[in-house]
Amino acid sequence: MPDLARTPRGPSRLDAVSRLADRWQGVLLTLVVGVSTLWLSATGQLVLYIHPRYVVFTVVMIAVGMVLSLGVLVLAPSARDDHGHDHGHDHDDHGHDHDGHGPGGLDDGSAVGRAPAERPRRPRRGRAAARTAAVAAGALVTTAVAVSLVVLPPATLTSATAGQRDVNSSTASLAGTSVEDAAGASADAYAAFSVLDWAGLLRQTSDLSFFEGKTADVVGFVVPSGDDPDVFYVSRFVVTCCAVDAQPVGVPVHLVDWRSQVSADEWLDVSGGFQPNPSSTSSDPIALVPDSLEEVGQPSDPYLY
Amino acid sequence: MTAPLREREALRRAGHEHAPSRRSPRGPLLAVGVGVAVVLLVLRLASPALGPGLLPDTLQDFVTLTISVIVESVPFVLLGIVLSIVVQVWLPQSFFTSWLPRQPLLRRAVISFLGVFLPVCECGNVPLARGLVLKGFTVSESMTFLLAAPILNPITIITTHQAFGWSDGILVARLAGGFLIANLVGWLYSRHPDPESLLTRSFAAECALPQQHGHGGASKLRESVELFRREMSTMMPALFVGAAVAGGIQTAVPRSVLVTLGSNPVWSVLAMMVLAFVISLCSNVDAFFVLPFASTFMPGGIAAFLVFGPIIDVKMLALLRTTYRPRTLAQLTLVVALTSAAIGLVVNYVA
Repeated sequence: MPDLARTPRGPSRLDAVSRLADRWQGVLLTLVVGVSTLWLSATGQLVLYIHPRYVVFTVVMIAVGMVLSLGVLVLAPSARDDHGHDHGHDHDDHGHDHDGHGPGGLDDGSAVGRAPAERPRRPRRGRAAARTAAVAAGALVTTAVAVSLVVLPPATLTSATAGQRDVNSSTASLAGTSVEDAAGASADAYAAFSVLDWAGLLRQTSDLSFFEGKTADVVGFVVPSGDDPDVFYVSRFVVTCCAVDAQPVGVPVHLVDWRSQVSADEWLDVSGGFQPNPSSTSSDPIALVPDSLEEVGQPSDPYLY
Repeated sequence: MTAPLREREALRRAGHEHAPSRRSPRGPLLAVGVGVAVVLLVLRLASPALGPGLLPDTLQDFVTLTISVIVESVPFVLLGIVLSIVVQVWLPQSFFTSWLPRQPLLRRAVISFLGVFLPVCECGNVPLARGLVLKGFTVSESMTFLLAAPILNPITIITTHQAFGWSDGILVARLAGGFLIANLVGWLYSRHPDPESLLTRSFAAECALPQQHGHGGASKLRESVELFRREMSTMMPALFVGAAVAGGIQTAVPRSVLVTLGSNPVWSVLAMMVLAFVISLCSNVDAFFVLPFASTFMPGGIAAFLVFGPIIDVKMLALLRTTYRPRTLAQLTLVVALTSAAIGLVVNYVA
């Protein structure tokens, strides 16, 4: 069976590198994800990326992956007695020769080197060049993502995504607290209401009498409102699975020239009552008019569920 | 030769017939691995010193979304690979072939439900399907398995149910649609006069060769980790690239573009199919991905996303290309796209 060392092109430095990458990228990337994820969970920051209910499952599977990776290093044959080539037609081995070459050559340099060596075909220069470019781009993206996994400080989503996803555009998450339930609640209960509770109530009713005499005290970050310079949303992201599906919810706050006091993305503790929104351009009929505005740090559990 | 020596020799042969001289020393490799892990950990521990606000908001969110996709998919990918190792290395050769009915239609219908035992998402199913062909499945049967297993499996059903419950018939449309498409495609290709010609030349050649069997217990362990290494080498870079593309699209395309399309019964279906094609998420988690769109898109669009996405997407086509010819894949894409669109439209107009 053809062996890499016997490819017509002969062993070059690039070949060796891509062969090495082909062989170890899985284990290496498993270690990258594993170390990062375990560190995140140890420092309580895994919830920045996934819903808390998946934390245990994630940690267990990552641990299994780490053990298997170390198992590879202990037990796997070396590159010289490459399994795939000694046993290319073994039942367990179906096609990893080729599968191993990555989705569309996105990831894996040896796709270029190995396939033609195994089955001599007419060379197609254009296609080969395109493939090489795709492989290079894939390798670049993969490396960049791996580096950011290890090096960049973990972060929550920012007001950029909140603005892009339209605050309060998701109706599903806003139905949790109903007007009927809230009508009979005590003052203490109102004090504990979150951004999500109030945003839901504001969406369900624009009857000002319901909000009269009720004081909200909520923590969230600042998202500028698109349609009025004097309105911002004190917002939180609601997460159902992971940060990918995060939906912003927010309570409109009317504060003339708020930009002179606070800036976007800042975390605030806002308290105050509700009044008809003085703004003529804002789409929200009722807004929170703050009695007090206090800058606070980002909470350890920035998302709501 | 003394008895113990012979035994050892036999074991080696039963293993993978690696010549003894070619065995590499194990210690250094493990040391390198542990060393790499320690370096990664040190980097990770030192990085908070960089402080927040390093990147502009949009770029930061792109990174956050990409990492979020990876962190939530990797456990499922690992689970898929572990199961795939169990099936390929530890279960007997004929485990999935001996008890299947012989009547072709019935056989394919049963094959559609193999995913119940192999709760792997579509990416993990490609190597598995190739293995099944090598074990005696026909080409059309392998397609039925490939198309049905990502949808008709417990993890996908549970996550879809968690995300949508029974609302709007989305779960039912997904399961029925997956079953229907898989068997339709299987039936279509079972009528093909020369199924070999559907396969890539290299894979067809591999099928034509006789198989070798016989493994000792110790070598099975080695085989398992070797399979893990290969699968992770295929999956991880694909996942990283897929996550970056998904994160990039989420950051770049404002939701409002999709929202305007979402309330039209026809456009919502087409827009969601395009989204599914580009985003290439695993079937185990895509229900959660699409959940936030549920408020803006009609249910038929969501159903089309959930039926089309697991079967055909950018990443999946690349993986399938290892086994099937481009022509076959083009036909497959067309059939699956038309059927998914039809299912979506039925949900929108009827349900």
